[in-house]
Amino acid sequence: MSEYNRALEPTAPPASRIAAVEEEGGGGGDYEVSLESLNQWQLAWRRFKRHRLALIGAVVLLVMVSMAILGPIVWPYDPTHIPGVSQPGGDPPTLESFDRIFGTDFGGRSVLQFIVVGARISVAVGFFTALIATTIGVTIGAIAGYFGGRVDNVLMRFVDLMLAIPFLFVILVAARFFGGGDPVTLILIFGLLSWPGLSRLVRALFLSLREADFVQAARAVGVSDLRITFRHILPNTLGPVVVSSTLILANAIVLEAFVSFLNFGIRATDVSWGNALSNSKGFLLQGNWWWPFFPGMVLAMTVIAVNFMGDGLRDALDPRSRES
Amino acid sequence: MSKYIVRRVIGLIPLLFGIILVSFFLMKLAPGGPQAQFNQNPRVTEAQIDVWLKRWCLERESSPLSVIREFGGWLGVYNCTTESAFSESGGLNFLPAALGGGDNGIIHGDLGLSIKAGRPVTDMITERIPATLLLTITALVIWVFLAVVLGVIAAVKRYSVFDQTLTFFSYVFYSLPTFWLGLMFIFVFAVLLRWLPPQGIVTPREWPPFNSENYWAAFGAAPVDAILDIGKHMILPVLVLVLVSIAADSRFVRASMLETLNQDYVRTARAKGLPKRKVYMKHAFRNAMLPVVTNVGLELPFLFSGAIVTETIFSWQGMGLLFITGVNDRDYFILMGLILITSTLVVVFNLVADVVYAVVDPRIRYD
Repeated sequence: MSEYNRALEPTAPPASRIAAVEEEGGGGGDYEVSLESLNQWQLAWRRFKRHRLALIGAVVLLVMVSMAILGPIVWPYDPTHIPGVSQPGGDPPTLESFDRIFGTDFGGRSVLQFIVVGARISVAVGFFTALIATTIGVTIGAIAGYFGGRVDNVLMRFVDLMLAIPFLFVILVAARFFGGGDPVTLILIFGLLSWPGLSRLVRALFLSLREADFVQAARAVGVSDLRITFRHILPNTLGPVVVSSTLILANAIVLEAFVSFLNFGIRATDVSWGNALSNSKGFLLQGNWWWPFFPGMVLAMTVIAVNFMGDGLRDALDPRSRES
Repeated sequence: MSKYIVRRVIGLIPLLFGIILVSFFLMKLAPGGPQAQFNQNPRVTEAQIDVWLKRWCLERESSPLSVIREFGGWLGVYNCTTESAFSESGGLNFLPAALGGGDNGIIHGDLGLSIKAGRPVTDMITERIPATLLLTITALVIWVFLAVVLGVIAAVKRYSVFDQTLTFFSYVFYSLPTFWLGLMFIFVFAVLLRWLPPQGIVTPREWPPFNSENYWAAFGAAPVDAILDIGKHMILPVLVLVLVSIAADSRFVRASMLETLNQDYVRTARAKGLPKRKVYMKHAFRNAMLPVVTNVGLELPFLFSGAIVTETIFSWQGMGLLFITGVNDRDYFILMGLILITSTLVVVFNLVADVVYAVVDPRIRYD
């Protein structure tokens, strides 16, 4: 059974549906093979469900995403509204009023609101960074791996250069000099700098898949380069690429938080989870643990959820990991 | 082998040149430039700005030619005092000073002056190195040791409760934002329990600033107290670094050990009746450590750059904090210098790791 599926996989329709959409608008019916009642995605979903932590991770992430979409609408944030506090440094968490459940910052602004409203920028930075970085990384890696030779050499030397320079250094400098506090610019900076590792991975996958029998066969019957790339090779790289995208996503969320924490990131009139933490260190030393604790906790939970989900996806999308 | 090394070293040259280019243009592209700080100051005259820029071998106009001259000055090929490729003593500027060359530019080990402090960047970086190395080497030694021990146990007792607990905690600590973990540790151990100092390298007022001349004098007078004082300050940052790094590395060790345990020779050794312990420790362990050695080699650049987050949170006066201060002050030359030095170290350590791997593992062939 597993042998059969492996041989079928490169041309089996469901696995290549994503690629097919780009190529011919969602067609791909010409490969209809229905010997098994479960298709690739159903099998993957079955494996994913078995990974309980990954499932929990997916649910947590879903909550964060809905918070990111709805949060600022349901509970509008006004940066100029500073309610004031009853004790210096901020009010501690209390169960008496809903918006003070996680305490307040030094100006009396609700920490819970920081979390709810800040989700939008934090989650958006994660998702769009991963999107940009994956697009660039896959493109560069695919070109380098498929064509090889001089193209590969030039591209990979460039990747070497980007990997040699400490990532955090460049991010901080770029955010400080070019960021200007704008979330979109920050996403662009993160996205344009996060792809080299992924492109190396895709290149390696392309290098080995290029020589695989089914690709040779496709080439022998005269399939074009573009079609081989999108139809036969790319779908097979899906598993590792998705996993590495989730890692980029998680990293970007943490990075944004750190950069904003240092006040080089999102401007003070916007809220992100990192921004919510940014002035809290001095107050922490006075004992205001709640202010940095809760936004950081949510941040950590999101990142753990994303990483567990990535782990589950790796098992689910790898057709060879049947038994687990 | 030597052929391989030579080829790799030659391959480094374009990479290093690329690093120099990037570190220069990253700063060059920054809007405003260093003189932007005078825009709001009516008392600074144009002539003063020119004199000021000259000190850093910079030019006010930005034509392609001036950029090339600035880059030449940063590289050490161009001399801005004589405004030519020749030094004041008449020789070509890129030659060593003893051969009639100049003394500016990275070729001559000069990384320029700090804009904020006015001191040579090279000095400012080198005086921060001991603090950073103290922190990172301690952390590296502890975490590599613990990662190997934990990883090997997890692999030998695969799927046991220990293994699963370790897996879970690796994921958690791998995911935790370092800076937030640091903040929470400060709160628990320094604010709440008051066991440990929250930040710094030495206790202020009791000890002079770390690595100053006075400090070493005081250190000589009471070495035990000094070490205890530093030790107290080191516990929290080292703990954060160790916890976060162990997570990824113990997974790596576990994977490597598992792969080795599945090898035929391990089965053979077991089959011929050797005790489990001996097989694991002698046959499997040594071979499993080969990839780990490379992995540690690749982590060595961290010794200089990796602790940037931890240093910031714990106000540890090392190179990472110097970088953050540099970013804050827009101190271009400190940033350029630090990026240049750390990137070069990354490249060199990568090469060393590859070569060491080739030396310790006879199966690897480079042709």
